[in-house]
Amino acid sequence: MKRGNAVAPSGPSGRADIESPLLGAFFEKRQDLVLFLAARTRSMESAEDLVQDLYLKLHSMEPGADVRAPVALLYRMAANLLVDQARSAQRSGRRNAQWRLETRVIMGGEDVVSEPAADEALAQKQRTRLLAEAVSALPPKMGQAFRLHKLEGLSQAQTAQAMGVSVKMVEQHIAAAIKNLTQRLRA
Amino acid sequence: MTSMVAEREERAAAEASAWLARLQRAELTEADGLEFDAWLAAAPDNRAAYQRALSAWHEFEARADDVLAEITAPMRRAANRNMPMRRWVIVGAGGFAAAAAVAMTVLPSLMVPATVQTYVTGKGQHRRVTLADGSVVDLNAETRLTVRLARSERQVTLGDGEAIFDVTHDKHRPFTVAASDRVVRVVGTQFDVKNRQGDLMVTVARGKVQVRPTDAARSGRAFLLTPGQRLEVAPGGAEQLKAVDPQETFSWRAGRLVYRNQPLADVVADLNRQFVQQTEIGDPELAKIPITGVIVLDNPEAVVARLSLMLPVKSVPSERGLLLLRK
Repeated sequence: MKRGNAVAPSGPSGRADIESPLLGAFFEKRQDLVLFLAARTRSMESAEDLVQDLYLKLHSMEPGADVRAPVALLYRMAANLLVDQARSAQRSGRRNAQWRLETRVIMGGEDVVSEPAADEALAQKQRTRLLAEAVSALPPKMGQAFRLHKLEGLSQAQTAQAMGVSVKMVEQHIAAAIKNLTQRLRA
Repeated sequence: MTSMVAEREERAAAEASAWLARLQRAELTEADGLEFDAWLAAAPDNRAAYQRALSAWHEFEARADDVLAEITAPMRRAANRNMPMRRWVIVGAGGFAAAAAVAMTVLPSLMVPATVQTYVTGKGQHRRVTLADGSVVDLNAETRLTVRLARSERQVTLGDGEAIFDVTHDKHRPFTVAASDRVVRVVGTQFDVKNRQGDLMVTVARGKVQVRPTDAARSGRAFLLTPGQRLEVAPGGAEQLKAVDPQETFSWRAGRLVYRNQPLADVVADLNRQFVQQTEIGDPELAKIPITGVIVLDNPEAVVARLSLMLPVKSVPSERGLLLLRK
């Protein structure tokens, strides 16, 4: 994960900021919070955006508030941010990407689609094929769970319902699929 | 020595994957966060292993649709060769039929002999699916439906969408449809389930249908519906039982929409599912005008032209399709 190093934690500009134990804990845990949030965001960039939201929320809190367990509070706020995000994403989410047709701009009766350069398009296609092969090579149940949950965008509970297994089992299939796919793509 | 390193990395990879999967749970608490934080710090390999898993996870996120299309493409070709049962109901003519032919998406959900299948329709698509038990399901436009056939039960999950179910009688294998926070349970019958934006409607044409709240539902009670009855469940959970003509509800299958005192906004929302070309209402007052009548779904221009005979509206071309304005 090279990006992680590229984005330096934006530390406090002046030491005065650190006087609050909560802000101090935030700067200490900032990268960990990004990793926590990134499990549920589309990209590292979105996780960075969310952690920035969290930082702004901290500033809007009572300055003198007595925070006994700052790290616990930070993770509670992070978890809440994910819930809010999921709620707003539900309406606009990528779930309707199946109807790709409608995202095209129809002008004068013709589909206008921006096409990437030919060699770039080929590289993209090959990468897509590699990912598809990796998923197809998973054991059937594991592959099905990964497909429904990650690719078709069903929640773990919906995936469990569709497969007729427990949510716990879905989580185990997903974990095994992630391990398998990560190692395969790294090779 | 090397094997010890490999073993350590292997363990970190397994734990990282388990964490990434755990963090997908619907409910996350500060306890999850604190445990995660402790795990990150517990071993030097953990952070790197988690970042690797995350990077693969995000790549699948970014390419989900392309990967899905790539996986289903060979299957789709095979399905076209081997499955004469895949019939298409193309309703209407002209522009509508063309739109239906262009926009098809098929997502059988398994690479191996399927017990679970997902069917998806896009804008302007109607699709008839014959299930392995002989039951027939007609999908309205923009509908997602998952079918699981097991020895002791037949389970359908309806996401956002609408479908008519014609269920073959099998008293040993109840047929259930889960939609919103209700479960519809039948033995053999014909009924329509509509689940759009949290509004659920179950209409029965034949046989008996039981609708009950799922365990997750916050309120509600069980209903036994008979032919000609419709149960409506509002997003807040308010239930209403009505007497209706089921053929009106089923008319979308024949390319007609029937309305009784419904606002123009509802009509336009339905049209925008049936046609790729989108219609917008340019005036909020216009959106409230009640409509009663039958709309034949042939093509959007003709539909809008007929609407303008019934209502004080005119249409102008817009960026996405048609814009309705007050005449």
